[in-house]
Amino acid sequence: MRILIAEDDDGTAGFVEQGLGELGHAASRVADGVDALHAGTTETFDVIILDRMLPGMDGVEVLRRWRAAGIRTPVLLLTALGGIADRVAGLEAGADDYLVKPFAFAELAARIGALHRRPPISEVPTSFEVGDVTLDLLTRHVHRGGREIRLQPREFSILEQLMRNAGRVVTRTMFLESVWGFHFDPQTNIVESHLSRMRTKLNEGFDHDPIETLRGIGYRMRACA
Amino acid sequence: MAILVLGAAVYFAANAEFRRQRDAGIAGESVELARTFTTEGRTELLEAIATREAGGSAHPYGYALFDARGRRVAGGLDTTRPSAGWSDIVFHDPEEGPDPARATATPLPGGEMLVVAVDSEPLEQIDRTILTLFAAAFAVVLLLGSVGALLLGGYLRRRLARIGDTAQAIVGGDLARRMPIGSRNDEFDALAASLNAMLDRIQQLLDNLRQVSSDVAHDLRTPLARLRGSLEEALAAPADRLPLKQALRQSDELLSLFAAILRISEIEGGALERSFTALDVAELARDIGESYLPAIADGGRTLAIDIAEGAMVRGDRELIAQAIINLLDNAQAHTPAGTAITLAATPDGTDVRLSVADDGHGVPEPDRARIARRFVRLESSRTTPGNGLGLNLAAAIATAHGGTLDFADNAPGLRVTITLPGMPS
Repeated sequence: MRILIAEDDDGTAGFVEQGLGELGHAASRVADGVDALHAGTTETFDVIILDRMLPGMDGVEVLRRWRAAGIRTPVLLLTALGGIADRVAGLEAGADDYLVKPFAFAELAARIGALHRRPPISEVPTSFEVGDVTLDLLTRHVHRGGREIRLQPREFSILEQLMRNAGRVVTRTMFLESVWGFHFDPQTNIVESHLSRMRTKLNEGFDHDPIETLRGIGYRMRACA
Repeated sequence: MAILVLGAAVYFAANAEFRRQRDAGIAGESVELARTFTTEGRTELLEAIATREAGGSAHPYGYALFDARGRRVAGGLDTTRPSAGWSDIVFHDPEEGPDPARATATPLPGGEMLVVAVDSEPLEQIDRTILTLFAAAFAVVLLLGSVGALLLGGYLRRRLARIGDTAQAIVGGDLARRMPIGSRNDEFDALAASLNAMLDRIQQLLDNLRQVSSDVAHDLRTPLARLRGSLEEALAAPADRLPLKQALRQSDELLSLFAAILRISEIEGGALERSFTALDVAELARDIGESYLPAIADGGRTLAIDIAEGAMVRGDRELIAQAIINLLDNAQAHTPAGTAITLAATPDGTDVRLSVADDGHGVPEPDRARIARRFVRLESSRTTPGNGLGLNLAAAIATAHGGTLDFADNAPGLRVTITLPGMPS
């Protein structure tokens, strides 16, 4: 996919560009707010990575102008460490996701993947099907191979996130944000314990585990081979 | 200025009134004499004039009767014939010489002209008296006003100078100085009191900043040294990837430490209050408890959840969640396997108490006051993971919500309680 990187720190931008290149994406780089505004307005990208603090024009201002101009490209905002107020301002200006700098590249890659295929609001699905697993958001029922699987609400939400992002990585912090609404990382790994319980229930009586664990990165759900 | 306008108005109004009265008097006199002439004849008129002139000061008017050729034929008013109607004339006063007067001339049938006049001098004297009085009053007011303004100005300058001097001293580095507050309890004292409150707040923020800087300087040195060690090790043995992984983990720990420090500063800065909303902490605590059940069970401990229904507070959901989570993280990190942990939320009067208790080793009494301080880690927990900021963050969150964080002996174990002011439901 085509990705715009608007980041003034050369080291960070280079590291992201190289990583995205290795994943097979075409990345363009701009280093200030005015160039970012111009590139985002005149060219088409699948995802934009936008730094909050850009010289020339503030990232949030750039974003606000894009949104005012009707540009709906998914934007991942990079914010400085610790700013709770910053995050709120970014999301209010129309960011689709945000990531605190410095970040692990795997986290960035997972979030870009999730952003890219996020459907427009009008096409929100009410059920998901991955391999032999189906999940119905309306009845809140999960079936695997025709058998109903009873999950706790949190386990259901975790599976929903995995199926929503089928084939792509969902990281621990992404689970914490979407399932619990927490924007911090508790010391206790509550994601892992819920996920392993959900996984046990899902796999009981089946010999294939559709959920892959990527150590230190996150989890991924794949259709059964 | 107002006094000048008022004076002028009074002067002109009084003057106009006096003139009107004088003219009315002259006109009355003139009409009466003219009537005497038309009803009773010329002789009677001459007699009436003579009688009136003989009356002395009771009759302030002067009279003159001119024939058609302009000669005065009767009356003591020594002047030349004016034209008919109102006019200001000059007559010859036998004592004072030429004198201005106000006169009306009435033509009588037969070509003669009757003139009745009044000496203008008394009126001008009244005018002068009014003006003099007014000027004197103005001078007195001016004098009193100036003296008053000078005194008040001096007083204000002195009061302001005291505040200014204090401000200068503070600018000069004497941060402990405060504005003097007098005993009068006036506006200046109120201003000084609010300035002092502001200075106290600034002082508190400065202390906080200083504390953070020294903590950072002191407590980041160790993890940075460890990171440096790992990198050195990695350079020395390029084939071994373990030191690099270690270095990565150590830098993540450093970053999370920074994040925690910044978060605490942000919370202590107190700017988050505008994001506070009505929040059911009982529901939040139950939600967190249920989310923690599996993880705590995986760690070989038990969690009991004892939550009363409906406890509303004003606050930030995520911050309160983080405070509860930090307490739960702590209860696991510092207790042996098999420990029973209890998460409770109970109303206490108008307050809400959130507590996490365990039946582990507990914390000795003298250490309890210390453990919520930044970077304080008891010797017994040096080896467990953590940055020494968890309880400090929880305490900062409690304070930001107008609450407190307390430690008590759970006999055995430790009970940590966050008390938050409740909201009437």
